[in-house]
Amino acid sequence: MESDKNFVLGVYDDEDLLLKGIKDVREGGVKIHEVYSPFPVHGIEAAMGYKTSRLSVAAFLFGLTGTILALTLQIGTMTVDWPMIVGGKDFLPFPTFIPVTFELTVLLAAFGMVGTFFTVSNLKPWGKPRIFDLRITDDKHVMAVDLAKNKMTEDEIKQVLQSSGASEVNNKNFV
Amino acid sequence: MHAESVVRQPLVTGGKTVHDITNDICGRVEEKPAKSWMLAMALSLSLLAIGGYYVYRLLWHGIGEWGLNKTVGWAWDITNFVWWVGIGHAGTLISAILLLFRQRWRMAINRAAEAMTIFAVICAAMFPILHMGRPWLGAYWALPLPNTFGSLWVNFNSPLLWDVFAISTYFSVSLVFWYIGLIPDFASIRDRATTTVRKAVYGALSFGWDGASKTWSRYETVALVLAGLATPLVLSVHTIVSFDFATSVIPGWHTTIFPPYFVAGAIFSGFAMVLTLLLVTRKVYKLEDYITVQHIELMNIVIIVTGSIVGVAYITEFFIASYSGVEAEQYAFINRAFGPYWWAYASMMTCNVISPQLFWFKSIRTNIASTFVISIIVNIGMWFERFVIIVTSLHRDYIPSSWAMFYPKAADIGVYLFSFGFFFTAFFLFAKFFPVINMAEVKSIVKATSEKTDK
Amino acid sequence: MKNNKKQYWKGLEELTKNPEFEKYADKEFAEYLPINDESEGEGTNRRDFLKMMGFGIAAASLAACEAPVRKAIPYLNKPVDVDPGVPNYYASTYLNGSDFCSIVVKTREGRPIKIEGNKLSSLSGGGTSAQVQASVLSLYDKERLEDPVLDGKATTWDALDKAVISKLGSLSGKIALVSNSIYSPSTAAALDALKAKYSNIEEIAYDQVSFSGMLNANEKAFGKRAIPSYDFSKAKTIVSFDADFLGEWLNSPLFNKQFAKTRKLGPNKKEMSRLYSFESNLSLTGSNSDYRSAIKASQQGAYIANLYNDLAKKAGAPTVSAGKVGDSANLTKAANDLWKSKGQSLVVSGSNDESVQGLVNAINNLLGNYGSTLDLNAANNTRKGDDSKMVNFVKDLNAGNVSGVIFFNCNPVYDHALGKSIADGLKKAKFSVSTSSRKDETASLVNAIAPDNHFLESWNDAEPTEGKFTLTQPTISNLFNTRQAQQSFLAWSGDQTSYFDFIKENWKNTNFTNQTKETNFDKFWDQCLHDGAFEVASSAEAIEVGEIAVDYKARAAGSGIELVFYKNNSVGDGSQANNPWLQEMPDPITKAVWDNYLTISRKMAADLGLTPGDMTTKLVKLTANGQSITIPALIQPGQAQGTVGLALGYGRSNGGKVANGVGQNAYPMISYKNGFQEMAVTSGVTVELTDETYRVAQTQTHETYMDRSNVVQEATLSEYKKDASAGRAFPMISTYHGKEKPGNVSLWEGHKYPNHHWGMIVDMNSCTGCGACTVSCQAENNVPVVGKAEVLNRREMTWLRIDRYYSHTEEADELSGLDKLKKMEVPADNPEVTFQPMMCQQCNNAPCETVCPVAATNHSTEGINQMAYNRCIGTRYCANNCPYKVRRFNWFKYHDNRQFPENTSMNNDLGKMVLNPDVTVRARGVMEKCSFCVQRVQYGKLEAKKEGRRPVDGEITSACASACPSEALVFGDMKDPNSRISKMLRLEDGENGLEVKEERAYNMLEEINVKPNVWYLTKIRNKEESNA
Repeated sequence: MESDKNFVLGVYDDEDLLLKGIKDVREGGVKIHEVYSPFPVHGIEAAMGYKTSRLSVAAFLFGLTGTILALTLQIGTMTVDWPMIVGGKDFLPFPTFIPVTFELTVLLAAFGMVGTFFTVSNLKPWGKPRIFDLRITDDKHVMAVDLAKNKMTEDEIKQVLQSSGASEVNNKNFV
Repeated sequence: MHAESVVRQPLVTGGKTVHDITNDICGRVEEKPAKSWMLAMALSLSLLAIGGYYVYRLLWHGIGEWGLNKTVGWAWDITNFVWWVGIGHAGTLISAILLLFRQRWRMAINRAAEAMTIFAVICAAMFPILHMGRPWLGAYWALPLPNTFGSLWVNFNSPLLWDVFAISTYFSVSLVFWYIGLIPDFASIRDRATTTVRKAVYGALSFGWDGASKTWSRYETVALVLAGLATPLVLSVHTIVSFDFATSVIPGWHTTIFPPYFVAGAIFSGFAMVLTLLLVTRKVYKLEDYITVQHIELMNIVIIVTGSIVGVAYITEFFIASYSGVEAEQYAFINRAFGPYWWAYASMMTCNVISPQLFWFKSIRTNIASTFVISIIVNIGMWFERFVIIVTSLHRDYIPSSWAMFYPKAADIGVYLFSFGFFFTAFFLFAKFFPVINMAEVKSIVKATSEKTDK
Repeated sequence: MKNNKKQYWKGLEELTKNPEFEKYADKEFAEYLPINDESEGEGTNRRDFLKMMGFGIAAASLAACEAPVRKAIPYLNKPVDVDPGVPNYYASTYLNGSDFCSIVVKTREGRPIKIEGNKLSSLSGGGTSAQVQASVLSLYDKERLEDPVLDGKATTWDALDKAVISKLGSLSGKIALVSNSIYSPSTAAALDALKAKYSNIEEIAYDQVSFSGMLNANEKAFGKRAIPSYDFSKAKTIVSFDADFLGEWLNSPLFNKQFAKTRKLGPNKKEMSRLYSFESNLSLTGSNSDYRSAIKASQQGAYIANLYNDLAKKAGAPTVSAGKVGDSANLTKAANDLWKSKGQSLVVSGSNDESVQGLVNAINNLLGNYGSTLDLNAANNTRKGDDSKMVNFVKDLNAGNVSGVIFFNCNPVYDHALGKSIADGLKKAKFSVSTSSRKDETASLVNAIAPDNHFLESWNDAEPTEGKFTLTQPTISNLFNTRQAQQSFLAWSGDQTSYFDFIKENWKNTNFTNQTKETNFDKFWDQCLHDGAFEVASSAEAIEVGEIAVDYKARAAGSGIELVFYKNNSVGDGSQANNPWLQEMPDPITKAVWDNYLTISRKMAADLGLTPGDMTTKLVKLTANGQSITIPALIQPGQAQGTVGLALGYGRSNGGKVANGVGQNAYPMISYKNGFQEMAVTSGVTVELTDETYRVAQTQTHETYMDRSNVVQEATLSEYKKDASAGRAFPMISTYHGKEKPGNVSLWEGHKYPNHHWGMIVDMNSCTGCGACTVSCQAENNVPVVGKAEVLNRREMTWLRIDRYYSHTEEADELSGLDKLKKMEVPADNPEVTFQPMMCQQCNNAPCETVCPVAATNHSTEGINQMAYNRCIGTRYCANNCPYKVRRFNWFKYHDNRQFPENTSMNNDLGKMVLNPDVTVRARGVMEKCSFCVQRVQYGKLEAKKEGRRPVDGEITSACASACPSEALVFGDMKDPNSRISKMLRLEDGENGLEVKEERAYNMLEEINVKPNVWYLTKIRNKEESNA
């Protein structure tokens, strides 16, 4: 049986049931494909055992790039390329470079990080998501279990989901 | 993990379930536009048209269409610019700073506030472009673009150039921040969509959001870091705007107190404008359960605080002027209060310093009507503040022979109306076609805070 | 169709079955076309065709990319002395009515574009006046007549001459030749030729402002009907009774120079003249005087008589019955000073009353000024008008006793008191001809107009002062089909010689013979033409001045309101009223443009119940001498109580598009008293307030300097003698380590200026505020005229302005705090006046440069703050941040824009010829400002470079400095130790650049440390005590 095609879905009514469910299901030895929620459920990272995201590191690196870019731009144009006497200031008036440097730092940090986020999460205007259940964006939390990825039989898995407090358990097959 | 602040009152009243929230908010988008909305739209479009005529005159004949002169080179144009930028502070501030402080009451209002920010900043950005003698060139000459003249670069000493960077950065970061928040809600609309068009449009807008927990956890990190970046950004924008004046040599402009004082003023006017708009939206869309009196009260408290800060700043300016012993400086401030523009100064004082003090009374700060009135008064006052700073400082500076008065012309008013026309048009479009409340966030607090949790 | 047997042939060939034709019969192109068949190996086939077509298209599109071609027609045969881009200078003379000035004309590619003073001529001391500077624009006035006019229709010169000759010939009665004073020998000769032909011609001369009284008095006293030439430079004490010699009285450029000489101070010249003035209106002279009394016009006689008596007592001469005077303090003071400086003093009066001028002569005689400050032997010829003659002429004209009238370059219908009756009388004359160059008030009434050239198109000579000649030479060929008047006279007298030869001939017989230096006439002539001047000791026999008898009857002072006329420096007598530069030049005193108005005292305004606002006032109904006009009233500090002032030269009806309808004509109000024109109406004057509001455009509305010592620094002579730095303010900045000079408190090192460092000195002591510099700047730098409406919007474009400050009312000193500030805005009733020319200060730490986002304004390595117009995006941030408010913004498109018809130098093809090709005409939406005439600096440097030397001091100077008659503006290189500026500032090298050792020199607003390159020298008043 090939993977990423046939799923069993456990539908939970609210975040607390979901968190408890995740715990039970994982203890029940079932590998969870992914959990889908209408809103961020706090504590789910732990429950699902996610590592903390490194996006903040990306942000920092992009920010650094911004700083360097800004200083290069300003010193390059004002001091190196074409120095001009402006208001009797030196050709390298560092204090006046601060605001632009700050702004460019923030700009690149923000855009760089968001860009990364969109890429890694595969978010794009033409993105065609796989919708397990239309109620996910409304009020239901859905746990998807990939049959192919589990040694257990479909019924055993359904059993585990049932007992973990899912309000419904149903099948979802993509062709 | 984050620490929950103990919840005193429910932030969402009326026993809403998560599903009710989806219905309430998405419903507004799906249903046919209301009569009241149509009317409002018509009004703002006509404002836009009237203003548009004066913008045309300005662009076709020249800046002379305004009332400016050899002595007063800036008046309504930059006044409006600073005023709009100030208003444009509330949104990002609310979402960013309140997010960092885990103030959950923000969740009901940040969406609309951010939208307002975006539109206000666009209105603001209009004026630096329009006020140029040659906007068709200035619009891009002010950017450090490589060009055929090789060495023709911009002047990084100029606060006006810092503005270019500050405003554009602030605008684009706010936009991103706002949009990220919108994505899951667009997804909700997408999944409820009945028509193909709506499905397609909101499908594209929602960037293919599927609500996976992994994405959600990344989403939260992004929101947090963005908030961390946006907070100093918000503070920097008005600081840099204030540099336009603070770094000059003109008495009344050349003042080191400007950055904090401008930021306070910005938050002050920003919150006032948010209130004005929210109170209307709340009424029209019957969102009383989401935007509760508690929200309004909390915002009114912010207004008292910032209003008082501004008041102290006004007084400090006078003290410093007299203490400095600089003749021109002292005259500039005496002239502000008692010179030909005393009436502008007086209205600024009443609107900004006195009127917010009424909010010390709980009855007033929890009263919708009075809040609405004062929120408008505050913004009138803030407009006058900028007018006072710009015009009264310029019209009598160092050389008495050049002292002159400024009288606005039709185009001054017209172009200001244009910015209003744009602002309201944009806001009403937003209110109709975008989810006005951040559903995902509100949903996440509904169980914890809504009265009836068992379904 | 089927059964149609008709046969159609394509042509004979088909009928005759021509094989060659058959072959291609079915082809589209019956005849052989190579492109049609592929197989054809050689020759061009379709591919080649396509290639060619492709290339063709490419080529065509490439060609289309070229910029549109502007037509520039090169010289077919280049004139020897005209090099494109290189100006030529010609010495010439400005002649307009009775006024003159010895000038040098700058031409570019054959176009006169600028006028400078002629330093080689002593006649006007190398200085100019605003009107002289502006006259170059009058040359390009589109509304000058383009053809001679006969009976209202354009005609040819032959036709006109025929008509005029026959008419004049036919006239039996008297023919009047009316003109302003004629002092051109050759013109006189030409007129003699005319008179020889027509014996019945009688010459009648008048001056807009009559001097007959003085002329008659002098005739009585010295037997010579002439005005002496004055030398103010020799005078230690000067007393002026309403004689505005720094403004419009006689030869103001020269008088300014002479007067300024006595006001210059320095380490080794600590003495200066003292000027007393007694006048009704605040004039330039009054505003530059050390002691000024505001007196009623009717009192002038009494004042002069009292002065005479005071001096007579001292001299032991007989006194006269004088009558009482109001302000005797200043008078006795004046008398004492005059007596102290006997022989080195001067008393002048603007009165046109014979007996009063008699007194003045007597006074100057008592003081022994004849021969020192007054010279009768070199008499001033520029005023010869005779009131009585003119009056009689008008009588005769109306009586029909004058059969013909020739108006020679004059416009009496407009600018004479009896203009109206002249207009009426003209109908009775059989024939009248005018040489006016435009269809003015007079010319529009005559039968024939023989339009004269503009003086820049003419040959002429003049003898303004006996023995001092000046030549006029054309600098451009006639723009229109005009002919110079003298040529017309010759033609009408039947003489065919050209006026040029006529002048030469005339000089050969007169001046050439009166000199010994040159033996060859041509060389002599060329030299004179080159210098524009020729001077020879007067041939007239010297006059001995003996006892002068005085016959003066004390007159009762008028009790009612008195109307006092004056000419201002801008529009003057009104002959150049169609010149927008003059109309928009601020009146040096009121700073108002595009109008004349009734100047009234604050007290009178209060009595009338007039409370003017910001440039808004009310119209008043002024009645005097039987005439009445409604005119705006303007409060004028220094206006004598009970008097009102009114400027002549406005209210033209046929002056041209610019001039017409600007202000009201005051000439008809001039009245006669015992045969003499009076420049004041002393009885029967009424002023009633109407409730019509009116806006008078002023370029300066705040009149006091609010005691700001960082703007104006002044002291009295006595203080100055004690301490050269008297009146100076030395701001200090408090720092953590005590007080510091502003210059020492800076974040930056600053920059050194290795090669040149241009700077300017403005000597507030010798600046009389005449305004010649402002017009000169306008002409040099293509500064647009914006019109009254825009000036009301406070948007005048002048790069150089002269700030005029009044001392504030005394009450302010008693007060304190807010009341003091409010009172300080109110000028005193008889204020001290300070003139302060303001141009870009070229700051080394320029605030404007810092704030420009696109670096459109930045600093040159020679210390000049430069503007790159085509980089400017017009944020106006620089103007806001300019502490001196000297930057000007192009609010609209001022050139090629029907919205601004007044701006003739940019809005019509002819007017544009005056533009200086070295200076950009600024586009809409860009900032502009004084550039220190960088184009002149560059030109001077290049000239020097070509000759492989450094520029010599004085060869590079700004337009304002070169125009200044009193040399109050000094431009130069502060790096050149021998330059005038270096010497005057006594520059020395200090640890941080050049240090100024001259105590009087200060930078305006020193405390903000913008380090200007313009230095002001303190204003020193020659008073005992400093009082406002």
